[in-house]
Amino acid sequence: MFSRKQSSQASVSSDMINKQKRYEVLVLALHSDIFRYAYWLVKNKAVAEDIVQETFLRAWKSLDSLKDEKAAKSWLITILRRENARRFERKQFDLVDIDDVSVIDEQLSNEIEIEHRELRTIMASLSEEYREPLMLQIVFGYSGDEIAQQLDLNKNTVMTRLFRARNQVKEALDKSNDNRGRKNG
Amino acid sequence: MDELEFRRILYADPNCTDAKILAAIASDPKKQQFCKELRQLDKKIQQATQIEIPADLVHKLMLRQTMESHKSSKIRNRIQLATAASIAFVIGVSFTMWQQSNLLDLSKQAIAHVRQEGGYALDAQENISLQQVNAKLATFGGEFSEDIGRVYYANFCDFENVRSLHMVLEGENGKVTVFVVPHSDTYLTEGSSSEKGYSSQAIDLKRASIIVVGEEGVNVNGIQERLNQKIHFSA
Repeated sequence: MFSRKQSSQASVSSDMINKQKRYEVLVLALHSDIFRYAYWLVKNKAVAEDIVQETFLRAWKSLDSLKDEKAAKSWLITILRRENARRFERKQFDLVDIDDVSVIDEQLSNEIEIEHRELRTIMASLSEEYREPLMLQIVFGYSGDEIAQQLDLNKNTVMTRLFRARNQVKEALDKSNDNRGRKNG
Repeated sequence: MDELEFRRILYADPNCTDAKILAAIASDPKKQQFCKELRQLDKKIQQATQIEIPADLVHKLMLRQTMESHKSSKIRNRIQLATAASIAFVIGVSFTMWQQSNLLDLSKQAIAHVRQEGGYALDAQENISLQQVNAKLATFGGEFSEDIGRVYYANFCDFENVRSLHMVLEGENGKVTVFVVPHSDTYLTEGSSSEKGYSSQAIDLKRASIIVVGEEGVNVNGIQERLNQKIHFSA
């Protein structure tokens, strides 16, 4: 009786170690993507960090429900979007600190940096329903079908939103180029 | 496919792998240029959105999880401890109750002793002096300070595995048996009984119990009191 109890305890703790390892791998592999997703969802670094922490905490608690590691990213995004929605239930924020984010490409030339900053401002100005599928497509490499599944939307709706998103980005870029041209000319 | 439709599809997905779209791109340098520009824009957006990750984020995520699992394991430990403590408590209480209900009732045991022994001690006609009685009683640290009347019999006997003093004294109307039994946890040390023609009374004194057994009708109480006054135990 006692030896059986011991072995079951040992397997419980080895389960815990396994879970711990899975969690660490998950964090290391996906925290950057998840943080960037959160950031572009809420456009605020501090809030994004909070949401990411909540997301991973919830992920830890229900890690056993994640069967397929390949599905981990979309599983985390689902949790993250739910956490974000929860935040809106609590309080409505309107936080934009898009100008003070520093980006990794600091060694890039001034011109490209300016261009990137402009793109970030444009991205931030997109409404969420356009920005989110665009991020999934460009940053996460999701196909139209995958985006539709992740956001729980019809594929045609997704494609329309992607089209409008790029259209708006293009228009905004052309407008600022015109302005710059006029100033220069 | 018209121009508008083409642009619409490519705007939605610049990396579209639809055969018709790919054919249209291949056949028209202008469309090729358009497609290339779109893909470049995607690349720029991709680069622009790669904001810096807070350096300590990984550690924070690990820490939160460690705290969380520590917290929950502590709660689990507390529950386990509480369960173990409750079980131990219940076992302790029920054992004590069981033990008490199984305590040997000295007064009953004394009657049984006398009955079983029959006439051996009761028929004895010795006249044992007080000194002799006290010498035996000294084993239990006791002493009679005054004369207790005629002592017909006084000897050690086995009282449920406890060495005790068995005496037969002269009572007011007939012989009575007196046991002096040192304290033991398994006894119910006080009480009185009467069964099968005998009555008995046990009383707890400082270091031993005294049980008086007489035939029914004998005033065991009176003898008990008389003995209580005369017996003394050294501290």
